Amino acid sequence: MSVITAIKNFFIGGSPIAKQSATIGFFSAAVLLTLLLPELQFSSIVLAWSGTLALLLATALAVICSISPPIAHLAILVPCIDLLAIGALRAGVGVHGTLFSAILVLPVVWLASENGKRYIAIATIGSSVAIMLPYIVAVAVPSDPTEWLRGVFTPAVFGVAAAIINHLSNTSRGQLASIHRLAEEREVMLRGAVDYTERLRENEEALRAADRLTRSVLDAVTEQSVIGTDQTGLIDVWNPGAERMLGLAARDAQGKRYVHEFHIDFELQQRSKELNYPPGETVLNPGFSALVESARLGRPEVRHWTYVRADGSILSVEVAVTRRVDETGSTVGYIFVATDVTQALEVSRLKDEFVGLISHELRTPLSSILGYLELMSDDDENPLSDEQLQYLGVAERNAHRLLRLVGDLLFTAQVGSSSFTLDTAVIDVVPVVVASLESAGPNAANAGVSLVADVGADVVLVDGDSQRLGQACDNLISNAIKFTPRGGTVTVAVSTTATHVVVSIADTGMGIPAAELDQLFERFFRASTATRAAVPGVGLGLSITKAIVVAHDGELDVESEEGVGTTFIMRLPRKRS
Amino acid sequence: MFRVVVADDDADIRALVAIAMRRAGIELVADVATGDAALAAIRQHVPDIVILDVSMPGMTGLEVTAEIRADESLTGIRIFLLSAGVTEAAIQAGKDAGADEYLIKPFSPRELASRISDAIKQWSAE
Repeated sequence: MSVITAIKNFFIGGSPIAKQSATIGFFSAAVLLTLLLPELQFSSIVLAWSGTLALLLATALAVICSISPPIAHLAILVPCIDLLAIGALRAGVGVHGTLFSAILVLPVVWLASENGKRYIAIATIGSSVAIMLPYIVAVAVPSDPTEWLRGVFTPAVFGVAAAIINHLSNTSRGQLASIHRLAEEREVMLRGAVDYTERLRENEEALRAADRLTRSVLDAVTEQSVIGTDQTGLIDVWNPGAERMLGLAARDAQGKRYVHEFHIDFELQQRSKELNYPPGETVLNPGFSALVESARLGRPEVRHWTYVRADGSILSVEVAVTRRVDETGSTVGYIFVATDVTQALEVSRLKDEFVGLISHELRTPLSSILGYLELMSDDDENPLSDEQLQYLGVAERNAHRLLRLVGDLLFTAQVGSSSFTLDTAVIDVVPVVVASLESAGPNAANAGVSLVADVGADVVLVDGDSQRLGQACDNLISNAIKFTPRGGTVTVAVSTTATHVVVSIADTGMGIPAAELDQLFERFFRASTATRAAVPGVGLGLSITKAIVVAHDGELDVESEEGVGTTFIMRLPRKRS
Repeated sequence: MFRVVVADDDADIRALVAIAMRRAGIELVADVATGDAALAAIRQHVPDIVILDVSMPGMTGLEVTAEIRADESLTGIRIFLLSAGVTEAAIQAGKDAGADEYLIKPFSPRELASRISDAIKQWSAE
């Protein structure tokens, strides 16, 4: 830092006491010189000491202003008092006082360095007053007119110097303000950069944590393979489950193999054919489009496929395919989560075999029982008595009951193994319901229950399996009759909405406790009211009925109040004409 | 008189079918318990009608049906399959093998006789 710069900063940025220190130093030197040098004499000790007192007063004010910011603005009085103090000292030293005129430069510079043109005037007038003070206080008399010029000429020089200093100070002040502003801006930017760096660090840490979480989740999935690919099928994710399932390490799969390479070509070709060769089918990755077509269209898909392991062996898998998207929602690849279903398929096959065996073993003796009962009752050559026919009727009824139970068990097993199919056609629901009502008529009459039909005559078309829907209606109506005490009523109604046909079966029976309604459609569940009243059954009818309705894309709801009755509501989608 | 061969591993069912055939006025030329015996009896008697159980020891009813359909000397034989299998797949398998009718156990002897009589009338009309 240059001396000029130091002086500039001293006067522009220094504290009042620092600015005052130079004046104190030279003022003290002047007083000491006057006291020590015999050539110098105080002409007016009162004025000299008044000046000294004034300087002390100014110094005290400088100290106070330096330590008390609220009154810092009063510091401008310090150089003003200094001018008077120096003037008084000069006056007190008499003819040799001019020796100390140079000290006036210090308060003049102080005043000139303040912000504002008025301080030039104050410095000029102040210096003039200080120079002319001996004449003002009448301790001296001008010897000639040039004495008066001293009170004008020197202050005029001080005034010009003050103007220059004021200008330089203003310039420096502006520069200083710019520097401060730049420094603040730099500070703000620096803080911003630090904040940004901190956020970046936090985001990076969050990303690392998310990556660790994803990695640990993927690693934890050891029973399923999770394979990720880009849009061409090139593998970029290969979890330990995939390593185990397909017998290939991640380093040998990621970035090197395509997912469709682990499929059987024939299956891919078949699927591709089913999809009518979806767009995107290329020579580069034949079959990949068939794998991802549903997912590509935004429909996650679960499908059975056969995986080919690295050693060439195969295994049956169920693969869920979903889309990978970027922040804009665009597809960037696919995720394939595969579950080995070899064991599940084997269980299903054994179950089918078991069901088939049970079905055969139970239905064959029933064939003999029912067949021979029929032969006996149909024997025209040896007609049976009414009593014998009654006995045969009981045996036949119970054989049919057993047959229904076998049928229900078989059907339930089919629903459970998803081998249950519908023979659908466009059918009118009304005749199906009427047929069920007619077949239930004798039962209702025997039970002393009134069967009321409110079915109308309009044709109501649905896509349905008339035999299965008839079975559902039979189940609901026979249930209603079974659970309604003698003298009660079962009302069967068919109505329509814009989209659905609604078949309701309402009884005035014993009702179902509210707490049991949720379990009503579960296999083998029996309501407590049914078991208390010893109503026969095994708890399969409603689960079968529900399965039939759901297979028709319909809904089966129940409303019930214990002791009042129950209403089953079957809603089936109407066929659009 | 039309002639029939009946094959079922259950003797009671064979007897039941035999009575139903008698009541329908059809001559029972053989009733056997296995698929192999059924095929031998069919080749020996060349009946008009064959009633086969699907599940039998040795050759199944489906296999016997396929053999009959593959043998030109047995052309024209009407085949009725009896089975406890009630699934769509089981019924379709019977039809695919070449059976004319598929009856699910338990069956009514009256209905069996009726369906065979109806079939005879239809063949006579043809």
